[in-house]
Amino acid sequence: MPILPRSLSARFSTAVAAAAATALLASGCSPAEPETSQSPVSGGHLVYATGDAEPTCLDPHVGGNYPQALVSTQYLEPLVSLNKEGEIIPWLATDWKESKDGLSWTITVRDDVHFTDGVKLNAKAVQANIEHLKDPATGSSTGYLALEKVTGTEIVDEDTIRINLSEPDSALLESLSQPWLAIQSPKALKRSKEKNCQSPVGTGPFKVADWDKQNSITLVRNEDYNSPPADAAHQGPAYLEKITWRFIPDSASRYAALQSGEVDVIDNVQPDTINAARDNESIEHLNAPRPGASNRIELNSGKPPFNDPLVREAFVHSANVNAAISSLFFDTAERSYSPLSSVEELGYSAPDLFTYNPEKANKLLDKAGWDQRDEQGYRVKNGKRLSLKFPVSTNQSIPAEISLFEQIQATAKKVGFDVNLELMDLSSWYGALAANEYNLVSAPYTKVGPDVLRILYHSDGIKPAPSGYFANLSQLDDPKLDKLLTEAGRETDPKRRAELYEKAQKIILNGYYILPLYDQQNHFLHRSNVEGFRALPTVSTPTFYDTWLSQ
Amino acid sequence: MTLLDSTRSRIRNRGAHNGNRRVGAVEFIAAAVALFLLAAALFPSWLAPYQPLAINPADAFQAPSPDHWFGTDESGRDIYSRVIFGARESLLIGAAATAIGVGLALVLGALAGLGGRLLDFGVGRLLEVLFALPGLLLALVFIAIAGPGVVTTTVAVGLSTAPGYARIIRGQIIQVRSSAMVEAAVVLGRSRAQVLRRHLLPNALAPVFVIGTLGVGQAVVWAASLSFLGLGEPPPAAEWGAMLSAGRTYLTTAWWMTFFPGLFIVLTAAASTVLGRGLQRRAVS
Repeated sequence: MPILPRSLSARFSTAVAAAAATALLASGCSPAEPETSQSPVSGGHLVYATGDAEPTCLDPHVGGNYPQALVSTQYLEPLVSLNKEGEIIPWLATDWKESKDGLSWTITVRDDVHFTDGVKLNAKAVQANIEHLKDPATGSSTGYLALEKVTGTEIVDEDTIRINLSEPDSALLESLSQPWLAIQSPKALKRSKEKNCQSPVGTGPFKVADWDKQNSITLVRNEDYNSPPADAAHQGPAYLEKITWRFIPDSASRYAALQSGEVDVIDNVQPDTINAARDNESIEHLNAPRPGASNRIELNSGKPPFNDPLVREAFVHSANVNAAISSLFFDTAERSYSPLSSVEELGYSAPDLFTYNPEKANKLLDKAGWDQRDEQGYRVKNGKRLSLKFPVSTNQSIPAEISLFEQIQATAKKVGFDVNLELMDLSSWYGALAANEYNLVSAPYTKVGPDVLRILYHSDGIKPAPSGYFANLSQLDDPKLDKLLTEAGRETDPKRRAELYEKAQKIILNGYYILPLYDQQNHFLHRSNVEGFRALPTVSTPTFYDTWLSQ
Repeated sequence: MTLLDSTRSRIRNRGAHNGNRRVGAVEFIAAAVALFLLAAALFPSWLAPYQPLAINPADAFQAPSPDHWFGTDESGRDIYSRVIFGARESLLIGAAATAIGVGLALVLGALAGLGGRLLDFGVGRLLEVLFALPGLLLALVFIAIAGPGVVTTTVAVGLSTAPGYARIIRGQIIQVRSSAMVEAAVVLGRSRAQVLRRHLLPNALAPVFVIGTLGVGQAVVWAASLSFLGLGEPPPAAEWGAMLSAGRTYLTTAWWMTFFPGLFIVLTAAASTVLGRGLQRRAVS
């Protein structure tokens, strides 16, 4: 099983270092002191500018989307984390154990940690959080789904909790490592929802001081902090005194603010900006692809014409994705051939299935009965044109991605597909999906671990959730796949689990239900005096605990 | 009232001070630009070296060069060809929107000008309500109800310009109605229809054509604005506003993607304004 490179980040930072070194030599400067020999300085004020939407609630239990995860990583902490190798490591929990039958987990939390409102972290606090997530009144979506198999909890002793399950859950710890399941002060959770959304209380290195809506969130240092994850670079409180979390939706303005030094870190960096920043010595790049699913186009197999596998296969071969990626993404994104992100250890890739091959596509369409063409060159069968609806959410697809879809539209036209791109805002887009008014769609999904496959491709995901949204957008309905995914979700033997997920991915890929594009892009640019900045290996949100500002 | 007054006074002033009919250099250039745009709209494939939708990823983001006069966009499409092919769409929307606006305004203006005091009062208040809303907002409201697309954009722009035209037409009709020639015609026993056909309409409509020419430029700008907001033709159509919007992302690295479609919007608006003003001057002097 070919394992894709873990991320481009290592390669890229080497390139940056090499470029910087060359530049120093060329300009004849005396080499600056290597960064590592400088010791971190405490204090300072960092300004972060996000291009993601402003959350409507700062408590990531409510709803549970990426913009919430970005900011809440600074003030809330989950029970466990992952290290770079993808193994579970301690955070607020020190110990965990699965029962023999797999139907319960015993988790021990640290006994020396306090929330920033003074309440002590203990088993009861964890219980209150799990209840909060499962309470329909909270309106949790991501956290709620992750705890689907949890039937209840028991307090074993002051610091130990038992979580009972309806069936074994191999993904439980991965789920608990996500920022959407972070632990908040039980006292704070008892306040009104409105209040908790405004200023959630956690154990994190920073706390929410102020939220100036549509402008910024002010985070100040938690002076009593003592609970970093096991892979942190230091102990004790954070170095930074204060973080201003600004909302700058326009990509060009965000980069201009970084260039001028008005802000120190920006996210959602567009490919052309990364390319432009390569020549800027005072700016550095961090690439942290998100876990979960790769960015892919789902082919709706639930209705014609894609209910015919031949037409799906033809479409996949008619799309010239590689040429589009290299020109539009300036080599900042790598082509994916897997339903899973390249950071997922269990990702399975099948590059041979997704070649650009118009002749093959033409033959497949002829074979499928679409053997006539109308005067505009589009394929026709029984007087009906081979038209495809492709609703595109302008909130979720960046401009380069929309251009990529235009290029796919152009190459697919050559073999006779009439692809209609429909740009729409998020709510119209959800509407189009709920009404089954789509043949193609691209929808990102971030989650730790391969269990995301169950959410996206189990036939249960075709039934809409109470919110009207359903996750199985390719409408893949295969009992064999359902069985594999359910079994893999229960399997705790790592080897067996890997085998099951590989089989499942083969079914998804070989059936041409998806056209994988690239990882969910997650690029940060920061000024080079921002040291010790990294993304958490869980869902790649930035953490500023180890960050300090050098001169 | 102010628009009408200023237009009328300007017409009078021009007429009084310089009655010359000489074609100035600016007007000559404007006419040349307008002819070029017209040619582009009618026969785009004569002027454009490439197909507007032909992608070529290997040639993406090329700066202007002898091969690609206006450079290429993010998918390697030739911007000059896209601008040329976009002329038809933009001019058509501009002309159609103006026609819708003027047509609607004729009905409203004639009702107000000829229909008696009550009708005049009713139409007058309606126009005041419409004037209270900025034109672009009116267009956006219409699109929000009818859904985005080329036809809705055209109608939306037409609707939102109608109140302005309607006021001018009403004023014009009232002015002509009380003129000596209409009085003379009535005294001579001409029928209502004859008066309307021979005196009222021709005299009231002449300035409308002039103002309509000015309006085409305005309508092109508005239509481009709406499609800049993603409310016009879906991608990958070569439409100036949409091209402007697509180029905005790459403004710092590929200025030509925004500059040339923008230049053509400005040229169209400027040419139609200069020509409109020229006609206006001649119509009165």
